[in-house]
Amino acid sequence: MSSGVAVNAGCLEAFQELKLGTKGAERYKYIIFGLNSTFTEIEVVTKETQTSYESFLKDLPEDECRWAVYDVDFTKDGGKRNKLAFISWTPDNAPVKRKMVHASSTDALRRSLVGIAVEIQGTDYSEVAHETILEKASRGH
Amino acid sequence: MVNYGGDEVAATVIDIGTATLRAGYAGDDTPKAVIPTYYGYTTTEGSNGDGDVTMGEAEGENAPPKSASKVNMFVGNYGPSVWRHGMEITHPVKNSMIEDFAAIPALITHAFRDVMRCEISDHPVLVTEPAWNTTANRERMAEIMFEEFNVPAFYIANTGVLNAFAAGKGSALVIDIGRSTASVTPVVDGFVLRKGLTHSGLPQLVEANAQHILTNPGANRPGIQLLPHQLISSKQAVEPGAAPRFTLREDRATGTTDTWRNWYESREVEDWVQSVGGVLDQGWNEQAAVTRGARHYEFPTGYNYYFGPERFNIGEQFFTHSASLASKNQNLPLPLPTLISTSLAACDQDLRQVLVGNVVLTGGGSLFSGLSDRLANELQRNFPHVKIHAPGNPSERRFGAWLGGSILASLGSFQQLWVSKEEWQEHGKAIISQRSPSPAL
Repeated sequence: MSSGVAVNAGCLEAFQELKLGTKGAERYKYIIFGLNSTFTEIEVVTKETQTSYESFLKDLPEDECRWAVYDVDFTKDGGKRNKLAFISWTPDNAPVKRKMVHASSTDALRRSLVGIAVEIQGTDYSEVAHETILEKASRGH
Repeated sequence: MVNYGGDEVAATVIDIGTATLRAGYAGDDTPKAVIPTYYGYTTTEGSNGDGDVTMGEAEGENAPPKSASKVNMFVGNYGPSVWRHGMEITHPVKNSMIEDFAAIPALITHAFRDVMRCEISDHPVLVTEPAWNTTANRERMAEIMFEEFNVPAFYIANTGVLNAFAAGKGSALVIDIGRSTASVTPVVDGFVLRKGLTHSGLPQLVEANAQHILTNPGANRPGIQLLPHQLISSKQAVEPGAAPRFTLREDRATGTTDTWRNWYESREVEDWVQSVGGVLDQGWNEQAAVTRGARHYEFPTGYNYYFGPERFNIGEQFFTHSASLASKNQNLPLPLPTLISTSLAACDQDLRQVLVGNVVLTGGGSLFSGLSDRLANELQRNFPHVKIHAPGNPSERRFGAWLGGSILASLGSFQQLWVSKEEWQEHGKAIISQRSPSPAL
């Protein structure tokens, strides 16, 4: 069951840039996606090269749903690694309509993003804390 | 397609439960029509079959199945609850599954024509189904919609997934407590994990137990007579706990059927349960139950009483069965903790973490006083990371699946997903499962 909401081409472009980087520019650290005001398309809300996790959390509003892709850096077995995390952000305070449209559209966005290693559903800030993401990313291999 | 009130699609949503049928316009917060799924009927033997069916104010046009003789059907809020000579009560939905499709059109017709005052054939219809629905059942529903009601478009959606989505979650453990069934549905990325699906007739046991408590003598009171108010002509006010003083209606001494009486008694028990019933948040403890105080309730006979600790015994059945009950009956419906642990045990370890962190509590029965707190405590014991999402707004819980369907069907982008009448005529039944695949992994 899906909402039939489409994914704006800009979303994929931004995602590719995050994965591969663009010439001469700093790579994106994270991208935030959201629904447009008429609930017809998923579009890019912000893309950031900022590396602080606090600034990422600030971009997850308290009462609105978002999706995010975050490039997680971590160290394991003495080596630097990175993995892409997909976060579905649906705070409890968000109106039920937004939550419903969000959840029924997640699949469309998620399927178009290739190379995601970690998936997280977050409803409050503790569920998307840096430690949580690090722990999930460094689990396994 | 006709457009109403400027709404661009004017789709409608029907959610059929064991106790009530909910119908309304997509985009609304609550259904316009909430009518009992139960209906009453009277049979007149030997009358000439052709025709003049006397139409009651809430009478459906379609006769129920049994008919060789003339059958009158009474549906809606003035249907089964009104006393009629010789009226029997029956219900087409058992354990959330439609068992008697013959009565369904009459119920839907009543909801649309008499309550919503619109023609169903003008509107696309989204219908909900339980996770354990059968393919035959959903195809039958599509057939009724397209062939009998002539709807322009149809879609069938799973209640478990709708409830998870309405909570904003693609993956969730949906605990849905209805009037007759309690179910636990693991939803993963928008699909029902069928092997983890568990359900039982637990609410029926809770009600039966409540009836048992009521009709048997308590610590300081006699057993209580459950007489429907329709059978009582007058009563006098009496002191709490005193014997009731009332007179019965002579004219209704005959003509009251057992099915009607049982149905009404069960309504009365339900009323009592909703008014005084509760459950302690930390398991049964006589002392704690006493300190919570007593609650007053008056029955149609005029008998009234302050119900003390016994009222917390009602909710206890959701969580544990008393030893005496369990020894007498081997096949008791599974209580909530067992339903949940059985469901989780069938899921992978990694998944369990996600599900426990995303529990969605829904259904009218979940509004039972104290139930969500107790459930949180019970789950906390085994799963420290449990997080329960229970909408605070009662109508969001009573109509969770309906509301999810309402939002979905109102979306402009959803319109490409309907199964249209043309597609139905072209492809037949196969198109239903193709478009809205049985949402199970």
